[in-house]
Amino acid sequence: MATTVLPRPKQYDDTFFKPISIWLTTTDHKLIGIMYMVTSIISFVIGGIFALIIRLQLSQPNLKLVDAETYNQLISAHGVTMIFFFVTIFVTGIANYMVPLMIGARDMAFPRVNLLGFWLIPVAIILYYCGFFTGGSLNAGWTGYTPLTEKAFNHQTFGVDFWALSIIVWAISGIMASTNFLTTIVALRAPGMRFSRLPLFVWAQISTSILLLIVGAPLAAAMILLEFDRQLGTQFFTTQGRPVLYQHLFWFFGHPEVYVMILPAFGLISEIVPVFARKPIFGYMSMVAALFGIVFLSMTVWAHHMFTVGMNTYVEGFFMLMTMLIAVPTGIKFFNWIATAWWGSVEFTVPMKFVFGFLATFLIGGITGIYLASVPVDTQLHQSYFVVAHLHYVLFGGSVFAILAGIYYWFPKITGRLLNRTLGEWNFWTVFVGFNGTFLIMHTLGLEGMPRRIWTYANPAWATTNVIITISSFLIAFSILVLLINVVHSWGHGEIAGNDPWRGNTLEWATTSPPPPYNFERVPPVRSFMPVRDLRESGELIEAEPVLTPT
Amino acid sequence: MARSARALLTTIGLAALAFVLSSCDVGGLSPIFPDPVSPNGKGIYNTYVGISVVAIIVFIGVEAALLWVVLRYRRSRQPAGYMPPQVHGHTGLEIGWTIAPLIIVLAIAAYSFVELQKDFQPISNQEMTVKVSGHQFGWDYDYLNGVVVHQEGSLAAEVTPFVVPTNTLVKLQFDANDVIHSWWVPAISGKTDAVPGYDNFSWLKIDKPGKWRGECAELCGSGHAQMQIIVQAMDKSDFEAWMAKQKATTASPSPSPS
Repeated sequence: MATTVLPRPKQYDDTFFKPISIWLTTTDHKLIGIMYMVTSIISFVIGGIFALIIRLQLSQPNLKLVDAETYNQLISAHGVTMIFFFVTIFVTGIANYMVPLMIGARDMAFPRVNLLGFWLIPVAIILYYCGFFTGGSLNAGWTGYTPLTEKAFNHQTFGVDFWALSIIVWAISGIMASTNFLTTIVALRAPGMRFSRLPLFVWAQISTSILLLIVGAPLAAAMILLEFDRQLGTQFFTTQGRPVLYQHLFWFFGHPEVYVMILPAFGLISEIVPVFARKPIFGYMSMVAALFGIVFLSMTVWAHHMFTVGMNTYVEGFFMLMTMLIAVPTGIKFFNWIATAWWGSVEFTVPMKFVFGFLATFLIGGITGIYLASVPVDTQLHQSYFVVAHLHYVLFGGSVFAILAGIYYWFPKITGRLLNRTLGEWNFWTVFVGFNGTFLIMHTLGLEGMPRRIWTYANPAWATTNVIITISSFLIAFSILVLLINVVHSWGHGEIAGNDPWRGNTLEWATTSPPPPYNFERVPPVRSFMPVRDLRESGELIEAEPVLTPT
Repeated sequence: MARSARALLTTIGLAALAFVLSSCDVGGLSPIFPDPVSPNGKGIYNTYVGISVVAIIVFIGVEAALLWVVLRYRRSRQPAGYMPPQVHGHTGLEIGWTIAPLIIVLAIAAYSFVELQKDFQPISNQEMTVKVSGHQFGWDYDYLNGVVVHQEGSLAAEVTPFVVPTNTLVKLQFDANDVIHSWWVPAISGKTDAVPGYDNFSWLKIDKPGKWRGECAELCGSGHAQMQIIVQAMDKSDFEAWMAKQKATTASPSPSPS
């Protein structure tokens, strides 16, 4: 039996310090992945600053820190930035980096499409923020409901137009990336990497890409029709037209978009739990089946955002049932993760702490989702702070916790250096406490009748809750600052990671950290969905002696 | 272990502190919406309570399982050199935790659907109809007898109340003149969107006199926050007197027509 000699672990980092001309023209999926991730983290910081201003404004009744118009622009920019420019872009970036490595490919199938797809993102971001510099940005929330975004009610500025253009560009980029991922995974798998042996993160990327391919186009269509209304005088969504049609088109994208953001997170969790529990994933096939169950169901639930619009009760009942059914595949995944760790030898490294933070908080988001799916209860909770709390539990407690787990897990592979553990612990505990302090009690505000998207309020009963929320939100900001310091510091001075610091299961751990431009000198044989672990256990994997001095 | 245990205690302590702080103002922290005064609101309230029973059991069960993994299966608690059993799955278990959530959500969906059929169907046995029309930024209540209450939005002052008689089934028909608004008084019932060009309806039957506050729940522009709502319920005789007064004001030429 042939042995596989691993490449020599690197003693230094050569990822980031490259001439600008290489960054601008590279088609290397890893560098493009890094650029996606860096772009998204910048967006995260900007969106976070918006959130802090919003929280300051709401900390007490009748504050006038910002005026109503600015406030509406801030909440819109916070939503658009976090959803379109942070979470979706980060998960695209980390998949761009990891998917070819995990399937043993040299690069993505269409490297230049990959490059174009990435560079459309800064274009989309800059287009959106142009609104702020031309008198006023989008001011109707990230959903941009018509007729409020129509010319008749929004004619003073170009904010809505910049937003619509930005989202069209964004959707095109997403469709490009999805096509590229699917082609890569179908066509460029290493010998032995059958579909039944794909890492679950790759399966998650397949399901995400299918979803974005299907729903990206309706989103772009809605934005194009809106622009027709605004610039050419058509009447698709105006007061004379059909404003509710816009909601259908938007949410046909908008709800699956939630899963575009959470399915890669599910994939990440499915990779990290087995590594640190030292057990294979429990129920591989049911995990894959659950992913596709979610893909299917997520496209049949969009009108649960519209239960107060006034639909036939049987139609509402259908959307209620389909929404609640999503709990079934999600439940399968949840129980499989717990079963994977059960009887394990669980090592609570920083990434694993974030995984358990994810499980503990995402559960709450899932349960409040059942309340919101129930039509009668939703008529009370809809458009209130209960919804704001719920969506942050699934987006922040879900996707962002998983993203943070992914950062700590894969940072050593990407940079060759480990993130500092002490700062990581600080990061985890402050964000966990800050997050729950912010959003757990926010549910009660909604139950007490505080609608979302109001720039100020007169009711003194909401004051105490709001001030606690504001204080906690600054704890989150502190935590993110700790993360950024950790990333910047460790990138230059962190402990050298070696090829495989966590004793991983998947192929990305069988190359150097960071990997060479061609990824693998020789792709190791693949005999199960844990190829590197198989080689390690059969003694075929020979760790080369590390190079002691940088060459 | 010691460090994590300390961190865990810190978390619990901070959570307790946050709870105590917020309990200072009991009105500011409620696990449920206000006690409803209209039957449809009560139906929603009961549905919420019913779902909560299941939700709390699921929540405690799953969080306990997670906590058990954290406390029992951490590496420091396992014997040195412990090799976990390499289980790849268990068909029976996997089917089990597919069926169990399925039964739970089907039950919740059925339970919610009964309430949906009971309180959200169009009604025709109303004793009174009011046309509620939203605009930027306020509400008009047209009693269809010439009387219209204009409830112009304001954060500084109390807005003009929308007056209804107690123990009367009032049908509310919703419409909007400009953008989408949403009429929400939590103590009465859920919210109803007022979409330009769309017919939408709701109803109320308030069982006691009093005043209840609400707000517009759909972002409708810069004055969204000031679109306050006040509903005032009066005994039928008081309401008749109020209505007669309104009719007299409407009939006489007004110096400042609104």
